[in-house]
Amino acid sequence: MKTNDLSILDTNRARYEEDLTVGKWFRNIWVAVSTAFKGMSITMKYVLTVKPVTIEYPEVKEELPKNSRSRLFNDVDNCISCMQCADACPVDCIYITAVKRDKEAPKLKTDGGTPIRLDLKQYTIDTALCCYCGLCTVACPTECLTHTTDYEFAQYTLGEMKYDYLATDIRAWKHRIVE
Amino acid sequence: MIEINGKPYTGQEKIKSDLLTLNMGPQHPATHGVLRVEIKTDSEIIAQAIPHLGYLHRCFEKHVEHIDYRGVIPFVDRMDYLASMSMEWGYALTVEKMLGTEVPKRAEYLRVMIGELQRIASHLMFFGTYAIDLGAFSPFLYAFQDREDILRIFEELSGARLLYNYIWLGGVWNDVNDDQLKRIEAFCDKMEENLKKYHALVGENKIFISRTANVGVVSKEMAYEYGATGPVLRGSGVDWDLRKERPYGLYKELDFDVIKGEGLKGQVGDCWDRYYVRMLEMHESIKILRQCLDGIEEGSIMGKVPKVLKVPAGEVYMRTECPRGELGYHLISDGGKTPYRMKVKSSCYTHVSMLPEMAPGMMIADFVAAIGSIDIVLGEVDR
Repeated sequence: MKTNDLSILDTNRARYEEDLTVGKWFRNIWVAVSTAFKGMSITMKYVLTVKPVTIEYPEVKEELPKNSRSRLFNDVDNCISCMQCADACPVDCIYITAVKRDKEAPKLKTDGGTPIRLDLKQYTIDTALCCYCGLCTVACPTECLTHTTDYEFAQYTLGEMKYDYLATDIRAWKHRIVE
Repeated sequence: MIEINGKPYTGQEKIKSDLLTLNMGPQHPATHGVLRVEIKTDSEIIAQAIPHLGYLHRCFEKHVEHIDYRGVIPFVDRMDYLASMSMEWGYALTVEKMLGTEVPKRAEYLRVMIGELQRIASHLMFFGTYAIDLGAFSPFLYAFQDREDILRIFEELSGARLLYNYIWLGGVWNDVNDDQLKRIEAFCDKMEENLKKYHALVGENKIFISRTANVGVVSKEMAYEYGATGPVLRGSGVDWDLRKERPYGLYKELDFDVIKGEGLKGQVGDCWDRYYVRMLEMHESIKILRQCLDGIEEGSIMGKVPKVLKVPAGEVYMRTECPRGELGYHLISDGGKTPYRMKVKSSCYTHVSMLPEMAPGMMIADFVAAIGSIDIVLGEVDR
């Protein structure tokens, strides 16, 4: 359409200028007032009978369902470094390094009884990249990688969002989450 | 004496008039996302409107070419983030069609129920935001209050509130328990009452009717020409619903009506018709939900899908009826672990392309009503 062809505007303008008779004018006012009154009565019913449902968040916290998918936690003692979580991750935010365990070293087992044949050297998840889809937790054969219900973990820098699960302070979460 | 450009001004000169160019968006609250519409206006009346897309383009189609089939589902969620379950369902059906997987009956029932709950949630979102567009605030709060019930059920089933990753290839992730089924039933009862109330509050209101009737008319021919689908097509008086015409899932066994616009307050295919089609569709969804609650049977929720998924080479096109219209997945596989090519046909994209034809001759305030009534989600338009 050419922009300087404005004939269409004149034809459409007519829509906004419909013919009004006195009767129509008064009927319009009556319909407007009555429907507005009907609407207001519904609103007033809500005002008087329905209790507020908004939760005042920082003071009152809603409990999330048990299978809620929030911050990831890996219990490194039970991890067998199988790399299945890293393979399943669609955004590749799980970084794992593992070396073969010495033959002389004492034999380790997970809580479920699976022998640990690899020494975990690095288990890092970039939480800022994570899309919380839950595919890694499903892939995990020893169920050591889980979603917790923690959702307040904002940080000031991106680097702080990278969690090293071998660090002692993050390992301590285990007791907080289990208890 | 006043002088303009060195010449004395007498008041007899003809003032040169031109169209005013105005940018609506990308951060305009009435565009429901990051849509920029370049409008050329003659005072208050629009002469031309050009939508500019691409502010939310995430390269979805190219990106999934190196992600395995299970990992695609979180990305599919992020297309239409207000109806993630419907997006997942379409994708799961596409891959299952290629694999030849049979989905257990209980999972099918769950999928239909989840899909219809999602449709109600999405239409409630439309109802609330459309009322805000036209200047009513409280319907938005009422709609969100009801939507919260649905999101709570979804949260318990899948673990997330918006991007679920719940419908998997071959079935669904978690099973539903009796308590949740009871809550869905209670929700159906509550919703039926509430929808009537909402329609009396908004749809019958004189101000709302004046703002929407005879505005943004999409005729039957225009809807066919542009390939409109979903509530926009049905609002134009066309009796077409994929759930009825090409039934997938369990829709063949379920009894429901296809709603179409009749032009009760103005012409067929105006904004009010599209609003009313969505309101009635929610009633139909409740009807489907009731039948599913009666028919749901015990059993497994996951079909047999190999752990390392390799889809046989071939090509498939599958389309489903989503809350906003028809969603099509064209998937080409070369027998590997990842899709060779995936093309998504989105309904919102075709609906946005109708704006340049709807807009000329409209007032700017009516244009807001028109954009709201086609109910677009920019995540799906740009992908």
